[in-house]
Amino acid sequence: MDFQLTEEQQMLQDTVARLVRDSYGFEQREQFYRSEAGFSRAFWQQLGELGLTGVPFAEAHGGFGGSGVDSLLIMTELGRGLCLEPYLQSQIHAGGLLQQLGGAEQRKRLLPVVIAGELQLAVALEEPQSHYHLHHVQTRAVRVEGGWELCGRKAVVIGGHSAGLLLVSARTHGEARDEQGISLFLVDARASGLSRRVYPTIDGPKACELYLDRVLVGDGDLLGEPGQALPALRYQQGRAIAAQCAEAIGSMEEACRLTLDYLKTRQQFGTPIGKFQALQHRMVDMRTELELATPMAILAACVADEADSEERSRRLAAAKFIIVHAGRFIAEQAIQLHGGIGMTWEYSLAHHAKRLVMLGHQLGDDDHHLEAYAQLLKTA
Amino acid sequence: MKILVAVKRVVDYNVKVRVKADGSGVDLANVKMAMNPFCEIAVEEAVRLKEKGIASEIVAVSVGPAAAQEQLRTALALGADRAILIESDEELGSLAVAKLLKAVVDKEQSQLVILGKQAIDSDNNQTGQMLGALTGYAQGTFASKVEIAGDQINVTREIDGGLQTVALKLPAIVTTDLRLNEPRYASLPNIMKAKKKPLETLTPDALGVSTASTVKTLKVEAPATRSAGIIVKSVAELVEKLKNEAKVI
Repeated sequence: MDFQLTEEQQMLQDTVARLVRDSYGFEQREQFYRSEAGFSRAFWQQLGELGLTGVPFAEAHGGFGGSGVDSLLIMTELGRGLCLEPYLQSQIHAGGLLQQLGGAEQRKRLLPVVIAGELQLAVALEEPQSHYHLHHVQTRAVRVEGGWELCGRKAVVIGGHSAGLLLVSARTHGEARDEQGISLFLVDARASGLSRRVYPTIDGPKACELYLDRVLVGDGDLLGEPGQALPALRYQQGRAIAAQCAEAIGSMEEACRLTLDYLKTRQQFGTPIGKFQALQHRMVDMRTELELATPMAILAACVADEADSEERSRRLAAAKFIIVHAGRFIAEQAIQLHGGIGMTWEYSLAHHAKRLVMLGHQLGDDDHHLEAYAQLLKTA
Repeated sequence: MKILVAVKRVVDYNVKVRVKADGSGVDLANVKMAMNPFCEIAVEEAVRLKEKGIASEIVAVSVGPAAAQEQLRTALALGADRAILIESDEELGSLAVAKLLKAVVDKEQSQLVILGKQAIDSDNNQTGQMLGALTGYAQGTFASKVEIAGDQINVTREIDGGLQTVALKLPAIVTTDLRLNEPRYASLPNIMKAKKKPLETLTPDALGVSTASTVKTLKVEAPATRSAGIIVKSVAELVEKLKNEAKVI
């Protein structure tokens, strides 16, 4: 298997790595975190100017037509820099849904501004009771004249506070857990009846709870056929999971680098603590987990854009499971090897640890994906 | 005006380099390579001159192994129009590189050559000056500002304790200092365009240049590790140590 990047991929990686290195120092990140948006709008704009926000979109729509590996390169570097921008949620997840389900008019109207980074999207799929199951939808959409009326609540919408347009799943028919009857709607962030409770998540990015009280949307705001959105929701979540795995790899690499550096620097009993064999073993265990996780992220990136199949779903579930485990292990060990400083707000490792733990709880935790994997094996 | 820009493939500036155990050089196995930062500044300056309508064509040239194509592609992605690689697997000294660049200057008849003032691997700071001597062109080194006025070029140079501005008659050679500009990022559309731009490969033999070196590297050593600091009890003790031990005041 050829793991060599092409010259263009190498340059893409260099550009993102340099951009993150130059604009996302730890102190700068702290300022972005404390700003109203919770991330850097200037950095987001720069991603747009450099064409990076267009990577996951097809050339036919004005994007770059990038592969899963191209997204992996970007997400790894964003993960390394602990970037707070909703690239995954807006460009990969929501952008993918818009591209897959959107009609010609919707795509023509929205994709150019999304690709240019001028319109940020967010996905509102989960609900307090849904626990990672995309078909557990209680939010209802009722047919009214000229459109639909939405009522319900969506939970932990990352980037939802700053998005101009929200992609909201709602049930147009059926019972709360039916696989049929789920539709996807474009909801304007300023729509009447829509309210948001905004809060920072534990690892940095802001999220919100979305309350829909008789929110009216037009016929042109329905994405795809009514009641038929679930396969696309699952497919695009797979792409988002692959991107999330790549983000975790960047964060894990940085956590390992910081820890190794610390072991070589911190002195105890007149010698760097990295000289102690017990700590060397733990450092080796961290690297081993990282080496196991990296090929899984590459595998996920390679299958992310393949046609939907059980094999694809199985591989993505496996990748997420392995990466959640590796991420948690590396986060915990890194803190242990650092001691108290590993938990301080002023040191980036603590934030990597939080990010790694949180990634394990978004878009399905390890239990969820292990169960999904087991189910898929049964049918294989 | 045609501008020639020289770029060098070096170890990425973020990499902590390690000296080989036998002291024969620096370990380059599995090390990330990149364009020399001063060369990036040189490319950026050329691109800015083209954007101002002063330059008509930018040719990036590199001397090194086949892999140096990566750095030439980067130069193309940053805005160069075409590239020339003079392929050589030997470790070439500044004079050999200057001779090869002279051959390209003669071939291309460029009016302006921009180079980085030095490469961060060997830190020689020689190639630009040697090229100036070989071609007989005027040279403005350590440039922090470059202005073209008709058939002359005003170069503000960073010198000890101040700035010096020199006027050079074209054709000329400029070597860039750190503050000349801030290089741009290669944007995705430009990365894709770079793929289609021409990249010519030449050899020293084809240019009729002998690269035989008169200098041999005997030994490469890592710098001595810093010894631990000490804490002094009073200002008086500090002054005493600075005077008598460090002998700096």
